[in-house]
Parts: sequence; structure tokens; C-alpha cells
Amino acid sequence: MTASAPTGTPAIAVEGLWQVFGNDAKTRLKDAQGRTSSAPDAAEALREDGLIPAVQDASFEVREGELFVIMGLSGSGKSTMIRCISRLVEPTAGSVRIDGEDILSANAKRLIELRRKKLGMVFQHFGLFPHMSVADNVAFPLKMLGQSRSERRTRALEVIEMVGLTGREDAYPRELSGGQKQRVGIARSLAANPDIWFLDEPFSALDPLIRRQLQDEFLKIQSTLHKTIVFITHDISEALKLADRIAIMRDGKIVQIGTPAQIVLNPVDDYVREFSRDVAKGRHARLESVLHTDTPPTMPDDPKLRLDMTLEEALASCMSLYEPVPVWGSDGQMAGYIHPSDLAKALQVDRT
Amino acid sequence: MSDVSLPAPSIVARLTPGARAALLTLLVGAICLLLESSTDLLPVWPEAWTLPVTEWIGVSLEWLFDIIRPAMRLISAVLEYPMVWVNWLLVNTPWPLIIGATVALGWYAGGLSLALMSGVGLGFVLASGYWIEGMNTLALVFVSVPLALTLGLLIGIWSNESARARPWIEATLDLMQTVPTFAYLTPLLLLFGFGPVVGLIASAIYAAPPMARNTLLGLQRVEAEVKEAGVMSGATRLQQLVQVEIPAAATQIMIGVNQALMAALSMVIIAAVIGGFDDIGWEVLLTMRQANFGQSLLAGLVIVVFAIIIDRISARMATSRDRFDVRISWIILAVAIAASVLAWAALPAPGEMAILAPTVEAVDGALTSFTRSAGTTLDSIKNNAMFYGLLPLRIGLDGAVLPFTWGFSWTANMSYALFAVAGALGLAVAMSGRVAFGLCIPIVAGILETGVSDLPWPFVLVGLGAVAWVAGGWKLTRLVVILMLAIAIAGLWPRAMLSLYLCGAAVLACAVLGGLLGLLSAVSRPAWAVIRPVCDMLQTIPLFVFLIPVLMFFQIGEFSAFLAIIAYAIVPMIRYTRHGLVTTPPEMLEAAVSSGATEWQIMREVRAPYAAPTILLGLNQTILYGFAMLVIAALIGTTGLGQSIYIALGAGDVGLGIAAGAAMAILALIADRIVQGFAEERRRALGL
Repeated sequence: MTASAPTGTPAIAVEGLWQVFGNDAKTRLKDAQGRTSSAPDAAEALREDGLIPAVQDASFEVREGELFVIMGLSGSGKSTMIRCISRLVEPTAGSVRIDGEDILSANAKRLIELRRKKLGMVFQHFGLFPHMSVADNVAFPLKMLGQSRSERRTRALEVIEMVGLTGREDAYPRELSGGQKQRVGIARSLAANPDIWFLDEPFSALDPLIRRQLQDEFLKIQSTLHKTIVFITHDISEALKLADRIAIMRDGKIVQIGTPAQIVLNPVDDYVREFSRDVAKGRHARLESVLHTDTPPTMPDDPKLRLDMTLEEALASCMSLYEPVPVWGSDGQMAGYIHPSDLAKALQVDRT
Repeated sequence: MSDVSLPAPSIVARLTPGARAALLTLLVGAICLLLESSTDLLPVWPEAWTLPVTEWIGVSLEWLFDIIRPAMRLISAVLEYPMVWVNWLLVNTPWPLIIGATVALGWYAGGLSLALMSGVGLGFVLASGYWIEGMNTLALVFVSVPLALTLGLLIGIWSNESARARPWIEATLDLMQTVPTFAYLTPLLLLFGFGPVVGLIASAIYAAPPMARNTLLGLQRVEAEVKEAGVMSGATRLQQLVQVEIPAAATQIMIGVNQALMAALSMVIIAAVIGGFDDIGWEVLLTMRQANFGQSLLAGLVIVVFAIIIDRISARMATSRDRFDVRISWIILAVAIAASVLAWAALPAPGEMAILAPTVEAVDGALTSFTRSAGTTLDSIKNNAMFYGLLPLRIGLDGAVLPFTWGFSWTANMSYALFAVAGALGLAVAMSGRVAFGLCIPIVAGILETGVSDLPWPFVLVGLGAVAWVAGGWKLTRLVVILMLAIAIAGLWPRAMLSLYLCGAAVLACAVLGGLLGLLSAVSRPAWAVIRPVCDMLQTIPLFVFLIPVLMFFQIGEFSAFLAIIAYAIVPMIRYTRHGLVTTPPEMLEAAVSSGATEWQIMREVRAPYAAPTILLGLNQTILYGFAMLVIAALIGTTGLGQSIYIALGAGDVGLGIAAGAAMAILALIADRIVQGFAEERRRALGL
């Protein structure tokens, strides 16, 4: 879990992406960009003209196998963003590359091919076909691929088993609970074994208990499949729990991109800080984030802290210590030291 | 006090839009009243200002028809084949088989109740002796409906696919459904020639719009995410439509099928006025003309039976997913086949059944003796309603109050007194803060004094324009004024006013009566248990049949037409009023109860305001139903546009038929837009 620069071609590269709703958005966006010097100014100009800039000048990259979470409140443009990347809506400007291929210039035929083979998507309200059984829903992308009935059925049952719905394959969506419906949605999006997996608030419509259960199973599935994932959510604790990296959106802009620890410990502004206010930081940040690597002072105690411990775990072992203590890397070498007081400081929930 | 010294325009500017509209209307009305005696440009639109639009339409259409007639005649010749085949098949299939098949279908769709209903219903048709005529009617329906469904489905899909074409298609569908049914017949008659094919084509055209509408509605209502799931699965547009969107919209599309079936049946029966085909509609018309009411009631009931069976089975198949054991259906069918084969020779010919003949005679006799004994009562009901209700509304108190009926004659002084009282009352109400309402009082008094058909045209034009402005702004005003001017220029103004009067009177009665019945149904469960099936029934019955009972009791005339319109148009008012009143969100009711409101207070303060937009939609439907029935009612003697359409049909005058039909559609459209505007405004105000 590092935030280092990506190597090679990123799985998804988004650059200067704009989505403006309204009449004649393309030319009016160009016009606004010509009149103003920065993206926020251009967005403001568009808004004054009665247009809606839902996504403004977004740029980010998602590495292969990375779980990239886009988080924001409703109306922040996150749903529009994922629809731009999957080209369910036509972005107004900018570029989206998937494995280096510009998908905004892909023709209709190529787009269908990409969707059949490479992309899978899960929807907030499941988007199940009401007239098809569970197995037919799951097998639908395979049908589009032109597979035979028996091939489809075999593969569908395989995926249905993976999401734990074996025995319900001939039920209809209306007979399922919310959690079960989303399992079908997940199974369907994985049926064609896509490389890139879009999840649009997949667990938001579920009650908390089911949500946690599905989150855990989702992580389990991802640990074996290693898909490249773009995951949308409005729930900060879900984002922190699942993400390799998080992009936080506000009013159509990405305000911060970083690992969960960076988001929690170094929020760029009050908006992001507000999100993490009630989050127990110690549970998400690891010792790395408060490590000193300069020449260590004298250290009388060694509570045997490891580099990959969370702050919470570390604090438990040095509750009564006041002097700096060493931190050990996974190779057995000392990686640096920390002040126990830093731990306590970092753990404080902001109360402003 | 700075308020007092404000110049007049500011006072006007401070009035609500409603009050401003009422003020303008009142002023124009007063000016017209003053000028009326000194100019002959009032009250009726001057003859000199009209153009021979009707003739122009007639001539250009005749010219067009001459060009396309060969092609149309070819279509009609082609359509004749399937019609003749289906007709032959239905007439020659042994009746036990048809009854058995219907019962089997009824069972499969709706279990015992629908199976019984189908059996008893068709048994009644058989016993009535109208089996052959009934099959002739059904043959038309069965050939026209597949045409209408295909056409409707394609139009619905097209409007879903093309955002640019959609508004045009929707406007056309609106028009096709507001143009009165009779108006379709004249041009079709000229194009396709006499014969049942005209009825077939008319019903296919008439039944396509509901199918198209429901297809579009269903496709648009498919959840966005379901559509997106189709896209993300890599489906082509055609695959998305055929495999995802159309199946997901199936319920709504099936509702379209149900509505198309009912529309087709209704139209096939109306088309009987063309004649030339021995179907059940013709039978009703014939017996009605002979004043043979027992027989025409019987034929009418056969239509009702068909309508109910077709409606209930197709509605059940559309809205319910439950199906009953298909094996029992097969057994029923097998029994029917066995009965047909074994008893082939012994079966009586269906056309010669006369089991109900004695009953018909008894009913006829009873009717005759009833109308004879209660004749004076019926007459006095009719006369009272005419003299004290309809006539004053039509020609005003100044014309209707005669010594012969009212016991005194209306004098100019009475008019002044009426205006003075209305003015004083209006002023009092206006002073208490309800300015718009206060201003409306003298306006209503003026309308009563003058009568709807004698209203000066500037007053009508400005009044409608002002109402439209309140309901929907300048855009609607422009539309309303232009359309009304079109009617005036075409020389149809007096007839339009007559139609407006009769429809208005009926709608007013429907609003009051239907509103009360709706309220009753909302507060009393037992009342709704009685009213609901009656409403279901009234809504299923083809328009035509409504004429029979009113004719039986009140003979030909305006009052009969008035009653027939009410019987048909009252249903939506009842339904929507009740629906609006009972669907108040439970939290709102709980909030009211916990604030200590009584039942009546809840009704007045919470339920009624919340229901207002729904009730307005009901009123809108009632108005549209009223106009639809108005044209049918022309058969039993009304004046106005309906009569013109009917005359045009008889004379083959396509110009008059189209122009009068269009004028009728314009009136309906204006009423629709204005009421919708108010409903929309109420909905917005409630944040719905």
C-alpha cells in the first residue's frame, strides 16, 4: 500500500476530464476556458450561464490491480465521473485511456467490444433485468459474447457460487432481498471476467449489517481476482476500509487523492478534514506516517513496534512510555523511531 | 398613509395573477355589455370576418384524395381478405368451441371467477340470438387490433429512439385521441369507400395511439440502471431494445394492448353508423331508430358483455403475473371440442336462438307501461331541468325567463338588479381579501344573464386567454387565443359555443356530483364497494351503449344527450377525487391527528389540499370524456359541432367533417392545457 508513482502504462488514465450538462456544452466550455485562466473560474463562468459543470477538469490514474475509490457527497459528480469513464455519458472534454487506448474516440463497434470483454459494472440499485432469472441475468454478458446456452449456464453457475447464491439461480430478482440482488449484480459484472471493474455505490442501498458482510466478501473476491477497480461511495469509512487510494470529490472537482492514511492524517482542506473528523485515525494510519528516520536519540525502552502496525496497535504497547521508541522493519532492521506522544496526537479526533 | 396615494398601476401590480386576469375579463365583459346594443359586431363573431376555410379544406382534401385513392382502395381490397377469413372462421366455428376456448383462456388468466364470467357472458350472447352479429363485430376487432398493435409498437419505439421526433409524435398522438371518433369516419369513407373495411381501418387508427403511448411510457420508465446494465454488458442498440428494454417494459406495453383492444371495440361499434355490415353496433342503431328499446337494450348488453370479457381477461394478463393451471384449460378445451364434434348435428344454429325473446318482450312491455305511467314525472324532470337549468345557461336569464315557464318575464331592470347585487357581493368578498374570487362573482352573474351561446366573442376570447395566462403564462395564452380565432374565422364560432355550453353544463354537473361521490367513496368503505364496480362497468362500456337507457326514458333531445355525457364522463371525477383523498401520506395524517385535528378538519385542511392536483387531473379527464361523448350524443339530437360532424358524415362533406372535428379537438385541447396548467401549478406548490 504505497503512494509511489505508477510504473508502466496505467490501467486507467483520466486527463482534463470535463462533463458539462446543458445545451451546446462543448462550444460553451471551450469559450469559457478561453475567457478564464483556471478550471474553477471556467466552471464558475459556465454556472453563471446556466450550465451544470458536473465534473471539472479531473485528472488521475489507476494502476493495474489497484482499488481506487472515488468518494464524495451526493451531487459531487462522482456518479457522473464513473459514467464518463465507462462512457455511459459522453464527456464534454478531456481524455480517458484504458490500457493506453483512448476510449472517447473509440467507435461504437469498438466500444461494444470493450464492454463485452474488458469492462464490468455494478450499479447502486442493482440494475437487474426484471424479466430474467438470476442465472439469465448473470449469463447476459456471455450471451452478448455469443456463447452457447450450455457454456453460459456453466459459467453463470460458477460465478453465482463465488457470490454465495448457489441454489437461487432460477429465482427472479423480485424474489430476492437487497443483499442477494447486489450479489447477482456483482456476479453479472464478473461473468465475462473483465479486467476493469466499475462499482457505482454498490453497497449504499443496503442496510449496515449486510453492507459490512458484502464489503468483506468483496475484499475476499478482489484478493483472488486482482481486478483494476473504480469504486464509488459516499461513505468515508467504506472508502477507508476498501481503498488502496481515495479521490475525494466536491462540487465536480477532485480535491485530494491519496492513501487512506494520507487522507486521514493530512487532509488538504477543511472539507476533507470534516469527513475524517469522526474517523478513528489510529485504525487507518500505520506507523510509517509518524516515523522519524533521523539519528535516533537514546531509547531506553523497546516495545517491539513493527513498521506495519496501525497507530492504535502501537499505542496499546507504549501506553506508559514517554521516551522515543524504535520501530522495526519487516527485514528485522530498525526502520526509525517514534515519540509515543506523536501517537497520541495523531489519534486525536478533531474537535473544532 | 403612503399606500393610499399609490398610483393605480401599482395597485394593479400588487394584485395576484388570478385577480388581474379576473379584472381584465370583467372590464372586457362590461364594455361588451355596454356596446352590444349599438353595434352588430357583437355578440356573435361577424359573418363578414369569416373565411370559407371549410370549403378550402374540402377542396384540397378532395384533390389529395383523388391522388391517393387508388392506393387506398388497394389497401382496402387487401385488408378485405383477412377480414373475410376471420369472419368466416368465427361464424362457422361451432359455438361450443368458441365459448370453451374463451372459458379456458379466462381460467388460465384469472382462475374460476374469470372462467365463470366468460362462460356466463358468452352464454348470454348465445341466448340473445345475436351470436352471428357478435362474431361479425369480433372479426373486425381481431383484424384491426394486430394492425393497431404493430403500428403502435413501432411508433412507440420510434419516439423512444428519436428525441427529435418525439414531441411531434406526441402532439400527433394527442390530436388523434382528441379528434372525435366520428370525425375519422368521413375522410376514411371517401378514401376507402363504403363497407366494413372503413370500420376496420378507423378502429386500427383509433387504437394505435394508446398502444404507442404505453410503449413509449414503458420504455421510458425502464430504470436507467437496467438500461445501463444492458449497455455495459456490451449489447448493441437492437439487442438492448429487444432483450432488455422491451421485456422490462412488458407490463406497461400489455396495458397498451388492453387499451388498444377496448378502443378498437369501441370504434368498431361506432363505425356501425356507416352501415353496410350486419354487426352488433348496427343492430343497436337499428333497434334504437325503431324505438324498439327492449331489443336494443339486449343488443347493447351483448356489446357490454364483449367489452367486459375482453377487458378483464386482457387487463388480468397485463397486470398480474399469476397464471392458473394450464392443464385445466386444456381439459376445458378438450370438452368443448368433444361437445362440438359429438353434438354437431344436434346443436341449434346460434343465430336462431331466441331464448331471451320472451324476456325482451316482457322488458319492452314493462318499459312501455312504465314510461306511460311515469311519463308525466319523466317529462317534468326533463322540463324542469331544461327550463330552469340548461336553457338559462344556454341563452341566458334574459332569454329563458318567460311567463310561460317562470311565471314572469325578464326585464332590463332585473338585469340591473342582478348586476348590482353581484357587484355588491363581489365587492364585499374582494374587500375581505379574496380579490380574485370577488371579481369572479359579477363575471358569473354576467354569464348567467347572457347565456353561454350569446356571450360576446371578445369576452370569451379575453376570458379564456386570461385564464390560460394564469394557468400557463403567455405561451398558453397565445396558443388559446390563436386556436379560438381559428375557430371563429372558420365560421364555426356559434356551433363551438353551443358545444362549449352543453359540455360545460355536463362537466359542471359531473364535477359537483362526481366530487361528492368521490368524497363519499373516500370516507365510506361500503359506499366505495358499491360505487367502484359501477365505475368499472361504466368505463368498460363503449360510448354508444350509453345512448340506449337515456333514450328509453327521455326521448331524443338535449337533455338525453346531457345525461349520456354525464353518465360517461363522471367516472374519472369520482375515481380521481377518491384516489386523491385517500392517498394522503400516512405521516401527514399522523401529524394532523397528533395536532388534535378532527376527521372533518383533516379532510378539509390536509386531505383536500393534498388531493387538489389529482382532483384537477380527474376534472381534466372528465372534460375530455365529455367532449368525446358529445359527438356520439349528436346521434340523439344535440346542436353544435357534434351535429356538424354527424351531418358531414351523412353528406360525405369532408371539409365540414374535418373542420368541425378539428374545432372540437381545439376546444378539448384548450380545456386540457388549462386544467393541466392549474394541476401543475398546484403540484409545484405542494412540492410534488
